[in-house]
Amino acid sequence: MLMLAAFAAPIAAQSVRPPGNAVNLDDGIEDGPSNALGDISDTEIWDNFRGGNPRELFAAAPEGQVMTTTGQQWRVVREKLIRKYLGWLPVIVIGLLAVFYLIRGPMKITGGRSGKTIPRFTLSARVAHWFMAGVFIILGLTGLIILLGRVVIAPYLGLEFNSVLASAAMQGHNLFGPVFVFALIWLFIKFVRGNFFQWVDLKWIFKLGGFFGGHVSSRQFNFGEKSWFWMVILGGILISVTGIIMLFPTLVDDVRWLQLSTILHALGAVGLIAVAIGHIYVGTIGMEGSIDSMLKGEVDENWAKEHHDLWYEEVTGKSATAPETTEDAP
Amino acid sequence: MSFLNFVEGPLFTFAAAVFVLAALWRLIGIIRIGRTKDISPPKGSAAVGFIKGNLRHFIPRGIFAKRTMVHLVGGYGFHLGLFVLVFFGVYHIDFLNERILGFSWPALPRWAFLLTSAIAFSGLIMLWVRRISDPVMRLISDKDDHIGSWLTFLVMLSGCFALEQAHDSLRATHMLLVDIWLIYFPFSRLMHGFTFFLSRGQSGATYGRKGIDL
Amino acid sequence: MTSKAEIAVEKFLEKTDSEAASFFEACVHCGICAEACQFHLATGDPKYTPTYKLRPMERAYKREKAPFSSLKKMLGLAPKPVTEEELIEWGPLVYDSCNMCARCTLVCPMGIDIAGTISKMRAGYEAAGLAPEGLERSVEFVKKTTSPMGVTIKALSAQIKHQEKATGLKIEVDKQGADYMCTFSSSEIMGYPEVLGAYAKLFDRAGVSWTISSVAYEATNVGVQIGSASLAKEIVTRVVESAEALGVKAVISPECGHAYGAIRFAGPNLMGRQYKFEVVHIIEVIDQLRREGKLPAGKKDARKMTLHDPCQIVRRGGLLKEPRRLLDDSCSNFTEMKYAGKANFCCGGGGGVSANERAEELRTEAFSLKVDQLNGVDGLEAVVVPCANCRSVFEDGLDAYEMDLEVLGLAELVAETLAEPDEKQG
Ligand code: HEM
Ligand code: HEM
Ligand code: HEM
Ligand code: SF4
Ligand code: SF4
Repeated sequence: MLMLAAFAAPIAAQSVRPPGNAVNLDDGIEDGPSNALGDISDTEIWDNFRGGNPRELFAAAPEGQVMTTTGQQWRVVREKLIRKYLGWLPVIVIGLLAVFYLIRGPMKITGGRSGKTIPRFTLSARVAHWFMAGVFIILGLTGLIILLGRVVIAPYLGLEFNSVLASAAMQGHNLFGPVFVFALIWLFIKFVRGNFFQWVDLKWIFKLGGFFGGHVSSRQFNFGEKSWFWMVILGGILISVTGIIMLFPTLVDDVRWLQLSTILHALGAVGLIAVAIGHIYVGTIGMEGSIDSMLKGEVDENWAKEHHDLWYEEVTGKSATAPETTEDAP
Repeated sequence: MSFLNFVEGPLFTFAAAVFVLAALWRLIGIIRIGRTKDISPPKGSAAVGFIKGNLRHFIPRGIFAKRTMVHLVGGYGFHLGLFVLVFFGVYHIDFLNERILGFSWPALPRWAFLLTSAIAFSGLIMLWVRRISDPVMRLISDKDDHIGSWLTFLVMLSGCFALEQAHDSLRATHMLLVDIWLIYFPFSRLMHGFTFFLSRGQSGATYGRKGIDL
Repeated sequence: MTSKAEIAVEKFLEKTDSEAASFFEACVHCGICAEACQFHLATGDPKYTPTYKLRPMERAYKREKAPFSSLKKMLGLAPKPVTEEELIEWGPLVYDSCNMCARCTLVCPMGIDIAGTISKMRAGYEAAGLAPEGLERSVEFVKKTTSPMGVTIKALSAQIKHQEKATGLKIEVDKQGADYMCTFSSSEIMGYPEVLGAYAKLFDRAGVSWTISSVAYEATNVGVQIGSASLAKEIVTRVVESAEALGVKAVISPECGHAYGAIRFAGPNLMGRQYKFEVVHIIEVIDQLRREGKLPAGKKDARKMTLHDPCQIVRRGGLLKEPRRLLDDSCSNFTEMKYAGKANFCCGGGGGVSANERAEELRTEAFSLKVDQLNGVDGLEAVVVPCANCRSVFEDGLDAYEMDLEVLGLAELVAETLAEPDEKQG
């Protein structure tokens, strides 16, 4: 909100300048029948340049031709498919979660909180998590503005406003991109232990995670969390690699890598954003007591017994199902 | 006058004046409280202790380093990064040169500026998320801590958003936030950037006088 | 009528000099100090974060005295006033959970001296009558007998007799013109009277004269611990006047941490004048005599030993190398424990915590860190604890944790390992 207000105030007085590194096209252009600015379209000219099969998305430039058509097709995919439909994915997820929340409500701790806590995540693990969350949110928001600004913002708030936002978002996204790589490595190191799949996970799948009732067993992380972890890691690698390629285009020698990168990057990013929304739901309003582990490093014993019974038994050496004994046997 | 001219001109002048005057007022106010003269025979030098105290606390202590690693990395990354950005970023040098100082010095190349920004941002984010994710930090933090972190973050973020230098509105936003930051600074805990030398120095002097080498 | 809170706040403000003010101004709420504080480490409870213990005093300063405080008050931005309930709630933080060890100052990026500020805060509590009862009781004792444990001169004389018999050396009381006048901590006199004998041996060997005052034998300064300037002054004055009456060259502060700071640095300021004699710590004296060759070392103790650094001696007294030099001479198997030296943990009972009954459980919990340190040294047989207060806390603590370990004073160890008079120095 604050940022929006901050943008809105100066917008009235704004004037657009060419970017600092732009070349002024007027300079050095001779008078004459030039079409350097491209404002006269001549289909003939373009037909002479063009070659290849327009139906093949990633065809090589055919012999003797100046350019390929993949650029055009990439444009089609990006404009007609990704820009138009991909943005709906997070919206749909939010809708589904809202419906789920209205029907099922938050998952409460059965028997309430015990008031006793056990440690779950160290400080550095918590910081690694929130660091990733912060960087992810910044990249997600700026990325979505780059991707969807023209369809979501421009029609309502004007092209000029969108171009300002897009410039800001692009610079922000470029700067934070490499930071994401660092966040990903750190997150991986801190959370990989306990996130390998195990047999108990099968049962978790059969019981649909207990989201629709029933008790599920799990160790430090349940199947849902493990899947989320690996989605973040693998998706993150995909996004990072494609992002870095876009950021440093000279790394690849074929423009089609770049085109592929933008598409995979957008798919991966928006896909991960959609799942992240689900993750955030479960972490906050969806499940009582979850957020404690990330805010305090400790969770309530009853939460642990309910959601991570096997882990609870490993850590405390007590049984997760035995009735609570108030005093420890001497 | 355009909005950009306003935030770069009169508002900046005002903010800078508030910054300088209020910070001085506060520092002098603290010093003026004074200390009663210590008449016990000294075992060492208070003045040397003042300087030593200031220098010693720059260097983390090995045996605590592991427990406080996140803080050390975040803290040093952020502060050194910010210092370098503010004083060696070409935009900032130009601004200081044109508006205040009238001379300039070599700036960082663009890639180094971006790298430093990334480090400073990472540091600040680490420091703040540490603040919200630990019981000790949650207990001792107050509004001022959060406002200070966020205001600084927004200044940096708006600066980063303005990197293309193509839109005056983005420059003006950065400048506006810089102005607000300058005004907020002397009345808040951001002042630690100046008061640290008093605090380290005075405890250093107390210890130094007793001949203790901490 | 002024309320307790008002009295306390007034004292807080009076005690907030530019040093304390700059601490309040500079603290960035980074929480690093928690990682150094024994009470936080032992319990994990966030309320034991050092800077948090200062909150009421910090608030009083920020509301009433800090630059811009009147402007902020006008705008309704000043912090809330300090209340009596709050002060009572904070009592255990100010008295029970700060042993004034200054470990937090080591790590604080701002170099904030929490311990020193806590002692200023205690002055406010004391003035308002909010100090804990256990400590108040020792105040009663001090007023009656000069000693917080109620040690009378009769009891002292009896101990002196025993030690004279054991060592065969004369211990003269109230001897005019002696080189040194020694003071002791009550718990030494009652619990470890061998110290008297050790002093006698050492000074006899070094050929210096010494004495004990029959009025001012007590070194413990409860006034400083509790935060009462008038009581502190009374206790210091007694020692100073006796020493000046006896015409000694120096007063020796015993193996007790806070007593040294109380008489060496706080004393002159309390009395408003400098003394006509010097104040030295017993460890300094022994170390100097040893280096002058007057106390040649003999056969070393072969047991595996380690050294506990009392906070008031290492961090707030600056004696780091001296005890180590002496130990190296007296012990052939001296091993440092983890964190030894400047960062050593307190015994848990410093800063008046050991005299505070309310704090007993917490103190035992805090001692667990010491236990870990001790257990970290394989095959440890004895620990040298050059502070009488630490020593009794050690004995209670080792008891509570069912550990079997000998606890020694440094002077005794040095006295026992002196070279025989005819033996060649080795
Ligand atoms: C901003 C909102 C977010 C909230 C409230 C949140 C909350 C949580 C909570 C409560 C847990 C601990 C669950 C447990 O105790 O088992 C957790 C774990 C985790 N979170 Fe988040 N999170 C957020 C964003 C993110 C983002 C953006 C990412 C990554 C891109 C992420 C990645 C992870 C990972 C990898 C774990 C470790 C558990 C596992 O292996 O699945 N989180 N989160
Ligand atoms: C290593 C990390 C990353 C780097 C280097 C990076 C870099 C880039 C670059 C250069 C673009 C190109 C913009 C364009 O020309 O259209 C981009 C677009 C985008 N990024 Fe990232 N990014 C990274 C991580 C992320 C993450 C974590 C997300 C999501 C949470 C994300 C979401 C997006 C989106 C939605 C777009 C728009 C895609 C498009 O316009 O086709 N990025 N990114
Ligand atoms: C507390 C930190 C900062 C302060 C006090 C600060 C201050 C300033 C000032 C005074 C200007 C001159 C504005 C003008 O010429 O209109 C400026 C410009 C600029 N700053 Fe910062 N800045 C900070 C952080 C940053 C950061 C972190 C970045 C980038 C990551 C940044 C990027 C820029 C850019 C790109 C400009 C030039 C905008 C233009 O062309 O006018 N700044 N900054
Ligand atoms: S002086 Fe010692 S006990 Fe007191 S707050 Fe600091 S670390 Fe804790
Ligand atoms: S370490 Fe120092 S600056 Fe940090 S919270 Fe503690 S007292 Fe304040």
